[in-house]
Amino acid sequence: MTDQELARDLGFLEAYTIGLGTMIGAGIFVLPSIAAEQAGPASMISFFAGGLVSLLAAISLSELATGMPKAGGSYYYVNRALGPFFGSIVGWGMWAGLTFASAFYMIGFGQYLLPGLGKYIGFLAGWGEIGITVAALVMAALLTGVNYYGVKETGALQNVIVLTLVGLIVAFLGLGAASGPTIGTFLPPEGWPAVAATIGTVYVTFIGFEVIATSAEEIKNPSRNLPLAMIAAVVTPTLMYVGVMFVSTGTLSIEALADSPIPVADVATEIMGPIGALAMIVGAVLATVSSANASILSAARVNFAMGRDKILINWLNEVHDRFRTPYRAISATGIITLVLIAIGVGIGTLAEVASFMYLVTYALVHIAVIVLRRADPDAYDPAFRIPSVLYPIVPILGFVACIAILLQMSFIVQAIGGIIVIFGILWYFVYARDRALSQSLVGEAIAPEPTTVADGQGRYRVVVPVANPETERDLLRMAAASAHAHDSETAEVVAVNIIEVPQQTSLEQDLTFEETRVERQQELLDSARDIADDLDVGLRTHAIVGRNAGSAILDVIEEESADHVLLGWKGKRSRREHVLGSTIDPVIGRAPCDATLVKLGPEGGRATGEIMVLAGEGPHAPVAARRAREFAEAADEEARLTLFNVQEPGEDDDGLSPRERGEALIEEFVERTGLEETQYESRIEVAEDIEGAILDAATGYDTICVGATRTGAVSQAVFGSLPETIGEQTDQTVVMSRGPEESAMSIRQAIVRRLES
Amino acid sequence: MPESLFRHALVPVASPEDAESTMRALRPYVESAEGDVTVINVIEKAGGAPDKASVEQREDYAHKMFSVARDEMADTDCTPTTEIRYGTDVAETIIETAHEINASAIVFTPRGGNRWIRLLTGDVGLSLVSESDLPVITLPEPNDD
Repeated sequence: MTDQELARDLGFLEAYTIGLGTMIGAGIFVLPSIAAEQAGPASMISFFAGGLVSLLAAISLSELATGMPKAGGSYYYVNRALGPFFGSIVGWGMWAGLTFASAFYMIGFGQYLLPGLGKYIGFLAGWGEIGITVAALVMAALLTGVNYYGVKETGALQNVIVLTLVGLIVAFLGLGAASGPTIGTFLPPEGWPAVAATIGTVYVTFIGFEVIATSAEEIKNPSRNLPLAMIAAVVTPTLMYVGVMFVSTGTLSIEALADSPIPVADVATEIMGPIGALAMIVGAVLATVSSANASILSAARVNFAMGRDKILINWLNEVHDRFRTPYRAISATGIITLVLIAIGVGIGTLAEVASFMYLVTYALVHIAVIVLRRADPDAYDPAFRIPSVLYPIVPILGFVACIAILLQMSFIVQAIGGIIVIFGILWYFVYARDRALSQSLVGEAIAPEPTTVADGQGRYRVVVPVANPETERDLLRMAAASAHAHDSETAEVVAVNIIEVPQQTSLEQDLTFEETRVERQQELLDSARDIADDLDVGLRTHAIVGRNAGSAILDVIEEESADHVLLGWKGKRSRREHVLGSTIDPVIGRAPCDATLVKLGPEGGRATGEIMVLAGEGPHAPVAARRAREFAEAADEEARLTLFNVQEPGEDDDGLSPRERGEALIEEFVERTGLEETQYESRIEVAEDIEGAILDAATGYDTICVGATRTGAVSQAVFGSLPETIGEQTDQTVVMSRGPEESAMSIRQAIVRRLES
Repeated sequence: MPESLFRHALVPVASPEDAESTMRALRPYVESAEGDVTVINVIEKAGGAPDKASVEQREDYAHKMFSVARDEMADTDCTPTTEIRYGTDVAETIIETAHEINASAIVFTPRGGNRWIRLLTGDVGLSLVSESDLPVITLPEPNDD
């Protein structure tokens, strides 16, 4: 909690200027020529409509960003709400959109630098298209370098740039209006559809406000500041753009504007003379650079978020040990940007593809809001909610508007955008599907109301994957303890062993060569049956040959309508692609039932003896207590339960001492878990360093039971850092548990339920 | 006699490698002084401009450093306390933290690098030495492996 507070250092003004810094970017300096060519003075309507569409997206995004303040912005919300299929599309879409936008900004930079400044500085003139491309390439490479090395940009510099730009545009508007612009005919030369199509072209200027959502975790008092900053960062530039188009089309002829690589500076020459034009050129150079910079940084954040959700290889997200930047992600973004500049796609197309990708993204963001509202996962509690008069009008209208603009865009843009979307889909099927941690909440949203996971026959089943003869017995004993606690007549344990076969070989082919593995599997499952006889519990076994142990286990859980899955863990966090292990991550992350992960400690203390339960406020702490009680009951006299709680020193706001707080908490905890007085002892400690105190105390017990600290609905961590640290740091047996609330049903299941009810 | 400089060492770390070498260098001193160790990682904030990397990503990175630091001290009596701090000025944040936790000294190993690298990354070591009003100890990197 305190960490969170300390990390928040952006007030309304800072959030607003970050948004403005990317919004008042290249767009307004470059687009007037393209927009005027397509729709004449009526392109003002295009800018205005683009602003409205963004405003709708800003309102939806505000709710999502305050509900889930995580790095990655729109990608993250869509992935959480709609699952990894749409997550892949939006992740790659945003990343592509940001690289296309960076390339667009950089070419705009080249245009203002060479033909623009060339009027004042001789040697910059006369380099033609090649010169512009080279200037764009050099600047893009430079920006990539700056972000690779993590050269610090300060808030002060950012403010100076934004203030300069706002000042320049206000001066441009003021003097422009005073010079009496005259608009000949407002009717668009090529008819009203061209105005609609132009929305698609200019939309690229509006993608910047997303940056505010991406920084949600850093904004103070987000329920107020975040929506305000987003809305202000959309409204201000919208008004400015409409004004700039008004002055531009009123001062120069459409032809002159359309032919100019530096439209705003040419207009400024008319109304303010050469000094004014020079000022606008300097402004444009600043703006293009600052926009491209923000885009490159945002693209790296999207990569990070995708890696965190296992949709992308984490290799890309390694932090440089010296510069502390995600240097690989930055380099990748930079290289693609350079390629896009070099192949000469054309500045208009670059802008339109970036717009396309963001319109796809925002269309899905609107859907994500509705899905999250309907599914209402426990951890989704946005500080800002779309006011009831605007919901669900805003997301529905926003979705329809995004789709309408997409349909208006030119064929070539739809084709390129379509290819990127198809790439995202293929990526999902080839890479992400088996790895992704998240699931779609769409099913939850369609289903009539939350349903509890229950077997049709009411039989309690515990699934136990077994792989190691040395740990098999203990895992089965713990599973049996859980089964016995639930009507031991019918409860049963299901032991599973999987032989994993690499992708390249066919399943049969590999098996003939691996007879020893098959024999081992049989031995393991045979001894599981013996153990089950000893424990007096019903047991069935599954021997499986499959590509991926994680998905095979999940299949068994679904097939058996299991109530509980119990896995063993070696006690080492994986450093690279996985959090706890390649099989553990997906099973714990996605199993729709109770899930328990056990790290076995020294013999004689495995789920017996002194059992400590961390009694905290975490949503899954009561599940840990339930597991502990099952163990204690199974072990009869040999086990004792202790509820343990650590409080920070000092009185709280209500004047309670730490000890009083701890006692109140344990009392409430006992109520939630239904333990009885005689079953437990309680122990409260006071310490600054909660984690340290827990680790110290843990050494005095045989088994430590801890609930997941994070809820899966919003976060991708497997159990949370505290349980995982305890599991890793202590030598004792550690049992981590979570309840089933993060289960999400498939769309098919949900529709079936809806039809049945 | 004045108290040991290693009664409670504040160790700022910047990467998992840095955490490993610093803890290894520091270990014998802490053991003989029976002192405490607090390991911190400062996440540099731009204070109004977009940060170079997401806060969340750098928090994950900090947890990696902490895990390495704890591993290094695993078989000693001392379990290091770990903490993430946030600030626009890394050296200043380290010094403030040292006062807050009543540290006896700030301990780090210099990270080398030529002038160009130091210019780019900001020479936190130099700022610590020149700005701190608490003892600052730089330990040579251990060369055994």
